Amino acid sequence: MTSSTTLGSNGAESPSGSEELRRDVAAACDRIAPTWPLDRFIAVNPYWGWRSSDITDAAARLGRLAGTRLTMPRSWFRSEWLAGRLLPHDVADAANACGAPELIDPAFDVLQAFDQPAQPVLRRMALVTDQRDELGIMPVPGQSWTDLVVHQVSQHCASYVDVWQASWAPNTSQGLLSAWRTDPSVTHGVAWRHGRGWARAELDALPSDPIDAISMMLDQLGVAAEGREAYLTALLTSVNGWAAWFAYRRWQARLVGADDDTIVELLAIRCAWEWLLDADADRTLREAWAASWSCFDELVAMGAADQRLDWVLQDALERSFQRSIIDGSPNATPSTAAADVQAVFCIDVRSEVFRRALEATSESLHTRGFAGFFGLPIEYTPAGSALTRPQLPGLLAPSLAVTETDGTLDPRAFAATRGSALAERARWREFRTDPSSMFSYVESLGLLAGVELIENSLPHRDPPVAWERDGLRSTLGQLRPRLAVVDDDPAAAAEIGHRVLRGMGLLDGFAPLVMLCGHGSQSTNNPHAAGLDCGACGGQTGEVNARVLADLLNSAAVRQELGALGVDVPDGTWFVPALHNTTTDQVELFDTADVPESHRDRLGQLVAALHDAGNTARAERSAELGLDACAGDPKRLEQRIRERANDWSQVRPEWGLAGNAAFVIAPRWRTRHLDLDGRCFLHDYDWQADADLSVLTLIMTAPMVVTNWINMQYHASTVDNRRYGSGNKVLHNVVGGNIGVFEGNGGDLRIGLPMQSLHDGHELRHRPLRLSVFVEAPRSSIDSVLDAQPVVHDLVHNGWLHLLRIDAVTGAVERRARDGWLP
Amino acid sequence: MLADLANSWSLVVPLASTVVLALAGVVARRCAAASSAWSVGRSATAVAAFVAVLATVIFIADGAASGAFVRLDALTVLMLGLIALVGWVVVRFSATYLAGDPHEQRYAARMLMTLAAVSLVVVANNLLVLVVAWAAASFALHGLLTFFGDRPVAVAVAHKKFLLARVADACMVGATVLFATSFDTLRIDEIAARAASDPLPTAGRLAIALVAAAALLKCAQLPFHGWLIQVMEAPTPVSALLHAGVVNLGGFVLLRFAPVVDRAVETRTLLVAAGVTTAVVASLVMTTRVSVKVSLAWSTCAQMGFMLMQCGIGLWEMALLHLLAHSLYKAHAFLGAGGTVRRTQRLQLHSRPSPPTLAALVVGTITAVAGTVAVTLAWGALPGTSSLSSAVWVLLVIVALAIVPLVVPKHGRLRAASLVRALAVPVAYLALHEVFAELVPAGPDAPRALLGIVVIAAVGLFVVQSASQLSPHGPVMSRLRPWLYAGLFLDDAFTRLAFAVWPPPLPDERPALLPQPRAVPIVSTMKPSAVRPPEPSVLAASTGSTGREAS
Repeated sequence: MTSSTTLGSNGAESPSGSEELRRDVAAACDRIAPTWPLDRFIAVNPYWGWRSSDITDAAARLGRLAGTRLTMPRSWFRSEWLAGRLLPHDVADAANACGAPELIDPAFDVLQAFDQPAQPVLRRMALVTDQRDELGIMPVPGQSWTDLVVHQVSQHCASYVDVWQASWAPNTSQGLLSAWRTDPSVTHGVAWRHGRGWARAELDALPSDPIDAISMMLDQLGVAAEGREAYLTALLTSVNGWAAWFAYRRWQARLVGADDDTIVELLAIRCAWEWLLDADADRTLREAWAASWSCFDELVAMGAADQRLDWVLQDALERSFQRSIIDGSPNATPSTAAADVQAVFCIDVRSEVFRRALEATSESLHTRGFAGFFGLPIEYTPAGSALTRPQLPGLLAPSLAVTETDGTLDPRAFAATRGSALAERARWREFRTDPSSMFSYVESLGLLAGVELIENSLPHRDPPVAWERDGLRSTLGQLRPRLAVVDDDPAAAAEIGHRVLRGMGLLDGFAPLVMLCGHGSQSTNNPHAAGLDCGACGGQTGEVNARVLADLLNSAAVRQELGALGVDVPDGTWFVPALHNTTTDQVELFDTADVPESHRDRLGQLVAALHDAGNTARAERSAELGLDACAGDPKRLEQRIRERANDWSQVRPEWGLAGNAAFVIAPRWRTRHLDLDGRCFLHDYDWQADADLSVLTLIMTAPMVVTNWINMQYHASTVDNRRYGSGNKVLHNVVGGNIGVFEGNGGDLRIGLPMQSLHDGHELRHRPLRLSVFVEAPRSSIDSVLDAQPVVHDLVHNGWLHLLRIDAVTGAVERRARDGWLP
Repeated sequence: MLADLANSWSLVVPLASTVVLALAGVVARRCAAASSAWSVGRSATAVAAFVAVLATVIFIADGAASGAFVRLDALTVLMLGLIALVGWVVVRFSATYLAGDPHEQRYAARMLMTLAAVSLVVVANNLLVLVVAWAAASFALHGLLTFFGDRPVAVAVAHKKFLLARVADACMVGATVLFATSFDTLRIDEIAARAASDPLPTAGRLAIALVAAAALLKCAQLPFHGWLIQVMEAPTPVSALLHAGVVNLGGFVLLRFAPVVDRAVETRTLLVAAGVTTAVVASLVMTTRVSVKVSLAWSTCAQMGFMLMQCGIGLWEMALLHLLAHSLYKAHAFLGAGGTVRRTQRLQLHSRPSPPTLAALVVGTITAVAGTVAVTLAWGALPGTSSLSSAVWVLLVIVALAIVPLVVPKHGRLRAASLVRALAVPVAYLALHEVFAELVPAGPDAPRALLGIVVIAAVGLFVVQSASQLSPHGPVMSRLRPWLYAGLFLDDAFTRLAFAVWPPPLPDERPALLPQPRAVPIVSTMKPSAVRPPEPSVLAASTGSTGREAS
């Protein structure tokens, strides 16, 4: 944005006023968490911008600004109480821990009362649009001013950022705000009392710089300096979906050291609607309204007092949940059996079910948890294609490029061949969608859709061919993703490998067979499909990462260099890449042709074990998929689940990470004896091998933050699906090809999870509990990470997650409170 | 109907679909478990599919037949088949898609009732039955469009459609009275036959104009299109059913009255003018839209315009082909709309094609036209092909322009394989024309002026489209685009006017599908007088005593 020292209408304002406004604008924008596009739909904590505030304070503020709650209705806690999931002891403990022993009795009143007293309706502080609505005068019958403004802003933003849906794109060279000022929808889409000409003149008078414009409008609206940050934040959250989209653009720009200020222009547009509506109503309501924003802090304090009881109940429920792990932890015994196979899985909660099933097949089968991108900061380009996508967590920027090869092909010729095949497809797409072609398309080829209709309505079991193979000949041999550095510079490759192995805690004691197992999902016709894939791989499957790492670690040259770094990978060890299909619980092994003859038997045993484990895992999941009738017949169950994954009408292909509630950072033996019900992230960690705390720091700053994002995405989508979830899947309408969805016709861009991912129609599948992180490490180690890492400090001390410590000797658990460790 | 029953099986069988589907609708509504409602629905649509096959067999064996109420001919058979296929697909789809909704039975019942009514429309030979069935389809569909009756937009849009549908019904009632008085019969086949042989009386002219008006309203032609664009507030399969099985009935009814339309030049002019305008404007608007379902809806609007235009110039065989092909295509496109993200990923594999140069476009256009002419002449030289009317030649002009994107040289080259594939389009077109001309007789040649309008519009559309590709941000195009994106504000004006006369009802007081706290200001301000219950309780929803049922 161009910096400007002269301010629009009010020349009397001092430059410091402008600085102050810039700070307020920046603060408002920083409150908005980004949302990723649907084809890389990773989970985000929508409250991320509030992490430096205590969660209860953030909730009170968001209540006033957005009319949202961060906790479930009290009646829900009562149902948890009745179901025995909320224990009396924990209510008292929670109240005391919250420093509110006086709330113990009120809490029990809520839990035991037959008649729930209605909870007060939470309303956001009125914006000008809300005020207009309260007068009862709608712009059009059936549509409120609030809806009209959100819809108009949303349509404008969608058109501005769309790349893939509309074939006739608008001119975006002039900026979001400038484009909006000339948009006839503003003048013609509303019946202005003062007429279109008036609206046109007002818009023309608006400064083109967004900060100048906001400054001028706030002056005319009469919002005083002390209320501005709150007001601007409320405006942005009223178009939260698009604000999140532009926050994403800013996030991506900042990852590579640039910046993007479109979010400020969005804020100016939303503010301009307020300003226009206020002026059109001749500013009749302004005085008292504008003054209310100056009292924001007092209003928040009142709201916070009302919500204290809710937080006691929330905390109590989380304590009750933690008991199973707290009670189970001391009973663990270290495993003694030597490992025949080590299987490394993603920390994802869905891995827990499968790992438990796999471990049950043999004592000598050990599993480990590690972030599913296997620590490789890569981006991946399917051979000869124009697509490049990151395969790592959204917190990071990729630094290594991976492409595919079969070892012989000439990349340029290959790209040309594939390119012309793809170009031919593009032509036919144009034929289908161009205005002067679409009629003839329907008449000449439309009847063929009838065949597809029938085909799609019949069950299919085999997974579809990967879309990444479009435009490739089916006769083409196996392509393999590789890192060029493995051949070019084995020493550099060894350093990557060393870092990864150290993070895994796998520097010695290699089993003959090490399976590196990424994961991915399988669903059809599902706009949110990427949300079921591996979040650590940027919303993709982990196949590429697993294959690249296995290739790297199997390379003789790299192993030699690894030896120089002190890691001795025995010749008898082979790494085999795999992919866990979390929808069907099948595991596919890759590149098995390379497995040495000596390992064939073991590989066969592993395949058999994976098959058995798949049956066990599917049987465990069958009830939640409504397939309990087939639970006793593994073959039939497998067929049904595979059909389900291909069913184009299936809105609940799998339950994803629903139910997630804990993250255990400890050796696997600590929890191996526990049934964690697919609700726990598991990361292996051996504190004794981490003298400099670099591994613990990495785990707590990366995987722990990612699990917080996942946990809070599910939490927010559950407690307020309207604002932080994407509503009903049967109404979803994909915007811009991959940007996001509208629920129905229009309205704001919807972020977060659809209701069908959280609720089965009868009950909630995700019970919103804040993440409980259990770390097996000495107090001092954890404390020093807390002190050194502000993000971790914020998350723990402001109540965005619970931090608990497992004592390595006794297995006893203590919890981290703001002022120290408590039993 | 008893007379028909006694007369011949061939007039009873087509009715069976309606009876079975309607009965299933009644039963589904009363099922205690949603799964049984869906079993009923699946079975009923399977039976309807069987009935369609049976009717086809009877038709092939015994030929066309018509009674006082029911008619069995090629059109009936094809439409029954279409409804059966779409019904079977859409009901199967819905059973999984809607799983977990507290009101699945109601949904299933309304969907089956809609299918029953549509099945009756397509077999009716009595004008009164047709009018009632067509209105019934609209009422049943209304229940689906307001399935989420707590959504203000859903209610307002369904209301908008409701108003227009009643005007259309009034037109049909007027037409019925006029036909009854001037032709002295309510049998559609007799009216059509009489119109084909005798000169059309004034009352008949007026009647067919009213039928055309009803068709224009029910086919969502400009400026009465807004509801079709905005009904994305109903579940996806409802959109599929609407776009594949209901909105096109206007075209079907005109097909029934084809000989009458052919005789009424003012009606033909009306159809061509409204159809062409809608086809051109709506298809251009479609290219600016940003969400997949809204884009599909504008496309339907345009396609319906094209179909009505074909009715106007007497190309009945192509209108029928268009109706069927579009239905299948659009049902598939809606049901598969969730795959948009995957399709976009596939597009990303290829670098975004750069817009063509003017020279390439000119070369492409010449290639396409020359190729189409060559293919058509070669086709005409084949033994056994019929000679082409001037109206078909007009359509071939449109086909030639349509295949331009397939033959525009890229980087100065056009591969022979691309050209061959592209020319398969006019071949398919001519072959399908041949087949459908056997099924439905074409009308007499249309007046030159009407054909002229169509050609000018087609060329004009091609020019605007090319200009939007060559210079999307030029002075004219960049000014035109925002207006197209806003649909020329036609619906805004219509809505304001219509709602001023007859405002929509308030949305229902129903708790959300899921126990989510609702954003308060947005909702409560819709209805300042009544405050919503704060947060609907989970217990209420989990025990099944949901407010939606109660209210």
